[in-house]
Amino acid sequence: MARIHARIGLIQVVLVASLLGIVVRAAQVQLVMGGAYADEAAKSRTELRTLEARRGTLYDRGGLSMAVTQESYRVGIAPNEVEERTALIRVAARQLDVSASALKRDFARKPYLYFYGPFTATDVEPLRAFKGVHIEGVFLRFYPSQRLAGRVIGRMTPDGEAASGLERALGGLITGTPGEEVVLKDRRGRRYESPGRLRKDPIPGNDVVLTIDAELQDIAEQALAETVAEFSAQGGDILFLDPRTGEILAVASQKNGAPDLMAFTEPFEPGSTAKLFTAAALLTHERVDTSDRVDNEGGHWKMELSNGRTRAITDEHAKPGMLTMAQAIEVSSNVVMAKLSDRLTPVEQYQQLRDFGFGAPTGVELPSESRGIVYRPERWQPELDRVSVAMGYYFEVTVLQLAAAYAAIANDGILLTPTLVREVRAPDGTLLYRHQPEPVRRAVSSEVAAQLREFLRGASSVGGTGSRAQVGSYGVLGKTGTARRIRNGKYVNEYIASFASMFPADDPQLVVVVKIDGPTGGQFFGGEVAAPVVRMMLEQALASKRVSFDRARMLGGQAASATNAAPSRPQITRPAPSRVVMPWPLPADSADPGTVAVPPLVGLSVRAAAVALHRRGFEVSATGAGTVRGSNPAAGTAARMGSTVRLQVE
Amino acid sequence: MSAPAARHPGELRWETRLLTVVTVTMVVFGIANTYGALSLQTAGGGGAGFALRQFVGAMLGLLGLSVVSRVDYHLWRRLAWPLFFATILLLLIPILPGTERIAPRIHGARRWVDIGPLNFQPSEIARLAIIVWCAALAAKKGVQVREFKKGVLPFLVGIGTVALLILGQPNLSMAILVTLLGLIVLFSAGAKIGHFILLGLGGLLLLFEKIQSAQYRVARLTTFLNPGEATAAAGMQIHQSLVGIGSGRVLGVGFGEGQQKLFLPFAYSDFIFSTIGEEWGFLGIVLVVVLFGLFLWLGMRIARSAPDPLGQFLAVGITAMIGITAVMHMAVSLALMPTTGLTLPFMSYGRSSLVISLVATGILINIGRMRGRPARKAAAE
Repeated sequence: MARIHARIGLIQVVLVASLLGIVVRAAQVQLVMGGAYADEAAKSRTELRTLEARRGTLYDRGGLSMAVTQESYRVGIAPNEVEERTALIRVAARQLDVSASALKRDFARKPYLYFYGPFTATDVEPLRAFKGVHIEGVFLRFYPSQRLAGRVIGRMTPDGEAASGLERALGGLITGTPGEEVVLKDRRGRRYESPGRLRKDPIPGNDVVLTIDAELQDIAEQALAETVAEFSAQGGDILFLDPRTGEILAVASQKNGAPDLMAFTEPFEPGSTAKLFTAAALLTHERVDTSDRVDNEGGHWKMELSNGRTRAITDEHAKPGMLTMAQAIEVSSNVVMAKLSDRLTPVEQYQQLRDFGFGAPTGVELPSESRGIVYRPERWQPELDRVSVAMGYYFEVTVLQLAAAYAAIANDGILLTPTLVREVRAPDGTLLYRHQPEPVRRAVSSEVAAQLREFLRGASSVGGTGSRAQVGSYGVLGKTGTARRIRNGKYVNEYIASFASMFPADDPQLVVVVKIDGPTGGQFFGGEVAAPVVRMMLEQALASKRVSFDRARMLGGQAASATNAAPSRPQITRPAPSRVVMPWPLPADSADPGTVAVPPLVGLSVRAAAVALHRRGFEVSATGAGTVRGSNPAAGTAARMGSTVRLQVE
Repeated sequence: MSAPAARHPGELRWETRLLTVVTVTMVVFGIANTYGALSLQTAGGGGAGFALRQFVGAMLGLLGLSVVSRVDYHLWRRLAWPLFFATILLLLIPILPGTERIAPRIHGARRWVDIGPLNFQPSEIARLAIIVWCAALAAKKGVQVREFKKGVLPFLVGIGTVALLILGQPNLSMAILVTLLGLIVLFSAGAKIGHFILLGLGGLLLLFEKIQSAQYRVARLTTFLNPGEATAAAGMQIHQSLVGIGSGRVLGVGFGEGQQKLFLPFAYSDFIFSTIGEEWGFLGIVLVVVLFGLFLWLGMRIARSAPDPLGQFLAVGITAMIGITAVMHMAVSLALMPTTGLTLPFMSYGRSSLVISLVATGILINIGRMRGRPARKAAAE
């Protein structure tokens, strides 16, 4: 018995010691390490869930929705949680548009039924009452006007990322700020059916009113498609720009099914449409008098080069004789422009092109735009390249740059930044941003601009190459271009037909650039291919109720003959932006016309600094992306246009 | 055997009364925590549904307790062999092929038997049956248990049979527990220490081989030995249990407020102690330990002053059953032991376990009541 008592005691001691061990261990876990475990518990049990913010709507300038985000719903049904089975099958079949028998079968067979939808709020509302139905809200992007302006607006990837176009470029402006919610989850990562705690409300994105005019865009896209088909061309671009504001009213591009907006991204040699820029340089530097006459050598001139060889220059449209510069542009005489270019230095030509914004990004909201190509004058071969430039070769421009340059001519010489964004509105409707014309620089003086418009008047009048563009009695100012294309470094018999124009002739409200790539079938001149498209589009635009011309201004210029051309319609009232009046150019940058002051850049982002430098004609080199600490040459220093400014980045 | 102390029958009843109070307290606390551990669950009627079912089990168990506590525990000597064979038969049900209908495979093991209204775990019954059988056998053999062939070997055969059957379910932790309980009875009956050392060595070898054969046990064991390396799968349970208990700190996060139950498998049974630690804090754990400590102290008191060896062995076995199960359960929750599926007696959800524990306590109470009376059997022997 004593042994038994001892052994019972031993068992008891072991067990009590174990219990004490438990208490000691619990003290260690709870009292000593408790804080760390509590932190870990809080972290692992909760999940920070992002609440998607509603994306802003994109409107055309008239308020038509072009990209809308709508809350849609997807429906999941967990059959094992369902209580009113028959009723649910009946309602679900009706609301989700599926067959009741298939639903019944799936109920028995599948652990979880998922209906991708998307369904509307009214579709899913009756299902909310049922247990076991899980309704999931998703934001989906819709494009009500289908493909209209698709290349500008861009698209979303299926998982809700902006893939291209403005959807992507506008970035944080329209995405809004996602909210946060804390939800409980269990060990399998499932979120428990307890209400999440809201940490941050999602802030919807801003609405953006684009400068695009849906109607004009439609006209442009249709006209482009028809023209490309008619001439079996490879593609083409059409761009409408408001010269007083820089607003892009329509932009259409088409090429072999590629999704890019070629009008912004693909530079080309402009050909004769660029003759006006050499003319601008000649006028600015007073190297030519309007009464000067130059022999066009009967349309065929063998230009003698210093090495004893010759270069043949031909006019396609000119009748032989002595031509003034106005006449040379009217008939697009290469010979006369080639001869006149001798009166300019390459630097002067180069600077004029840079002044019109070539060789630099325009600053439009789509970052994919090309800057085009303008070679530095040091690289030019003497004699050859200045002639090429005068005829519109040896540099490349985008349709957008060409339109912006023509808009500068229409806008009394001031180059504006082209834009696609007219207004930004907060979700509650407050106006956050309204586009104001953004002058880049004075490209030419007001007098020269007026003179250039006179040249254009000649070029698009009867006898000029662009005569087929004329619309009723309003008059179109424009210049045709027919540029040969380069293939593998050689010019081939493939052409780019273009027409850069302004409408109406007096007080232009629109700059229209049409460019058709590789028209075939015998017709390839800008005057034959591109100019008629402009007329057709302008006629349609005038006949349209929605396209917003300032008809009062048009009538002011054409009071007498207005009745037959423009039917009197209720005028669309919109505040006519006042003509840009500002001290321009800014106080003399420097005496030497070839140099420009480096702007103050400190504190700007590299991107903003690069834009500022590009606009002044500088090349930029920077390493890294951050805030600019300084530049070399320093701010205020006069530096040659086209030279490189190095940014010191933090 | 020393002569029973001449005490007034009523004088010693306070122990049995206190034991009843401790037991009922634990059962009530357990039901409450079953509800709390399931506060975030909606399936199966939610916490209320589980608590209600546990309450029904508790009523059944308490009825059993009061009946058994009034039945002379010497009855168990006669019932020992029938109970032993019945247990073996019941344990055979889930092992035999073709019995899936009444013994379904749940979570990879067949531990439940489901016959009509009865739904229970035969291994829970085996836990008590082995104690009764060992106690009765030890009491009968007397000093013979010090021999090997006639003493220890018959025990080993009986215990081994039951343990192997349980192992076949498979349920390693219950097999170990049953073996341990049988050996404790044998030990308290006076078997030689040398035999136990030999047994322990052999058992370790067997155990190691057995553990290696089951992948999930290897995972649990390696996790236990090296928790930092494998927190992904198996160590997750232990780790989550620690996180839960740890975040309870001194006063706990509050009844039903614990969140860790979402991460723990069977937070209402296998890990009820973890939930208690989280929701009641260190104070709750101390309370639970004190309750089991009281039970142990009272049980061993009853064992020591039992009127005859049968009562002693039964009392030691039953007290050890409650105590060891509780310690093992708590040790698992605190990462002091590899994960097992053992429940916390009286507190974990699970009616088989609860009823068996209460019935066993009934036997213990009866032994406590008996000790004031003349030891008629002892005199007879």
